[in-house]
Amino acid sequence: MRYGFVIDKQRCIGCHTCSVACKIENNIPDDVWWNRILTEGGDEMDIPAGEFPDTTISYLPVNCQHCENPACVKVCPVGATYKDLETGIVRQDYDKCIGCRMCMAACPYTGVRSFNWEEPRYTLGMDLGSASSPKHQKHTVEKCTMCWHRVAEGEEPACIAACPGRARFWGDFDDSSSEVSALIRGREHAQLLSEEGTNPSVYYLI
Amino acid sequence: MKENNSAAKAAKLPAAKFGGRGLFVAIVVAAVLVVAGVALWVYQLAGGMVQTGMRNFDSWGLYITCFMFFVGLSAGGLIISSVPKAFGISGFGGISKVAVWTSIASTVCAIAFVVVDLGQPLRLWELFIYSNLNSPLMWDIVVLGTYLILSCIYLWAQLRAEQGKIGHKALRVISTIALVCAILVHSVTAWIFGLQQGREMWHTALLAPWFVSSALVCGTGLVLIVSVILRKVGYLSLDQKHVVNLGKLLGAFVCVDLYFFGCDLLTEGFPAASGAAVVDMLAFGPLAPFFWIEVIGCIVCAVICFTPKLRTNVLLIVASALAIVGIFCKRVQLLVGGFQLPNLDLPGVVTPLTVTHWEAGMTEAYAGMVYWPTPIEFGVALGVIALGALILCLGLRCLPLKPADES
Repeated sequence: MRYGFVIDKQRCIGCHTCSVACKIENNIPDDVWWNRILTEGGDEMDIPAGEFPDTTISYLPVNCQHCENPACVKVCPVGATYKDLETGIVRQDYDKCIGCRMCMAACPYTGVRSFNWEEPRYTLGMDLGSASSPKHQKHTVEKCTMCWHRVAEGEEPACIAACPGRARFWGDFDDSSSEVSALIRGREHAQLLSEEGTNPSVYYLI
Repeated sequence: MKENNSAAKAAKLPAAKFGGRGLFVAIVVAAVLVVAGVALWVYQLAGGMVQTGMRNFDSWGLYITCFMFFVGLSAGGLIISSVPKAFGISGFGGISKVAVWTSIASTVCAIAFVVVDLGQPLRLWELFIYSNLNSPLMWDIVVLGTYLILSCIYLWAQLRAEQGKIGHKALRVISTIALVCAILVHSVTAWIFGLQQGREMWHTALLAPWFVSSALVCGTGLVLIVSVILRKVGYLSLDQKHVVNLGKLLGAFVCVDLYFFGCDLLTEGFPAASGAAVVDMLAFGPLAPFFWIEVIGCIVCAVICFTPKLRTNVLLIVASALAIVGIFCKRVQLLVGGFQLPNLDLPGVVTPLTVTHWEAGMTEAYAGMVYWPTPIEFGVALGVIALGALILCLGLRCLPLKPADES
């Protein structure tokens, strides 16, 4: 199996709902985002490029690309980040991580990995989301788990169900009859920084 | 009168003069700084690494810069000491053992800098249980550990050889192994960076030989400074010709290093593609001060080393210092430069944990140097450097590192 995402850039409206759903589901601490929505346009978020009326803007949601050939997995000295061979999901073991941040230096996708630089803080003062998502630890690296705890129970990741524009899809690229396989068969698509040779399991429909 | 006489006598015997109050004060000062550094490190771990300048987009900083730098410093001593023995040529006078000792002190500093950079130092044992042998960082831990042990064995072997308890053939074998290990340790440190396809500036095959040449530059510089100072204070006597030879060697190494730098800049810049941004960032961008200090410092160093009239003790020390500072600037360029050009620089949600200067958004964060250390990092780094100085001074005081013909 090779689980991954398809993101339809023509449908994405940059509403950040998937980011928030991800943050709640995984009880992500304050100031940490595993799934970030980048603006392709001007120099600021949500600002288009060009002069009115000739302006352009689009959105690029970026989370861990769960690469087929992950740069992070190779460099982790203790195997705290590893690829689950059955599902193709790149996983992270918080209990093992020694906090050397080698994976952050190796990952070409700026900002998908985050380090808990302090004791995790929560504005609400209580835990949110799934009880089965792993506890966050100070001074360890973390990132999108593809909602491992949900996938293990046969559910889809939280960001998929939350997307109001139905721009996000999830499934198995090794199964030619899956929805995601059909989508990349039928539409023009691209992988992020494909020149890095990591072969991400996230495809963007353009 | 009696006291005066003995003082005059002591002054004539330089060896007896050394190791007095000055060294004692140095040891005490270094020890105090080490204790302060450890306290700051504990403070950093307790309060969180949020107190450092490092953030998600620039996740390494001063500690890893210093790690690279001290791995480099450690090379020179060992190579200067082992090359003559391994190839059976005449060396640089009696500085062999002192050179190895500076190398050991630098290696301890390098290892300590990795440890203070770790978020979870209590999990260090995992490195030996869950070792991922694919990771260049793991290779480095193995090689650096071996290197430290080997340096100690090499020093011990030299001492035994002087007592006639080890044959020169055995010493030669150990020198050769030490030399290979010294070159390996620098190559592996380079591969931590050079094998990362995700960072344009780091990803080059030149990086490993370049690390070796940089290591030779600053290592030779350090050995030169230490030996001239030790001669000055009467710890050892060293023929001026050896000092001059070390100077010439330093000049040659600096030229090789500059040559590699030139090759790298040309290869990055010539296609006028993404690599041109790297050249621009170094020569004219936020890292320009470090770039020009390195380039000009190394050129001045080479001029001093190659002009016979300029090869005075003072100027050679200046040249060595310029070379060492230049190589440190090289390390800063390499580390910060790797983070200065993000692959995805599109605007998005920015938080205090995203990037060092996050307040004014992404563009502002990258306008200057993306990373700058906080006071606590300088404090911890000073503590680690003091640890090296402490080891160096304790060795000079307690170990028989003087040339054999004197002791």
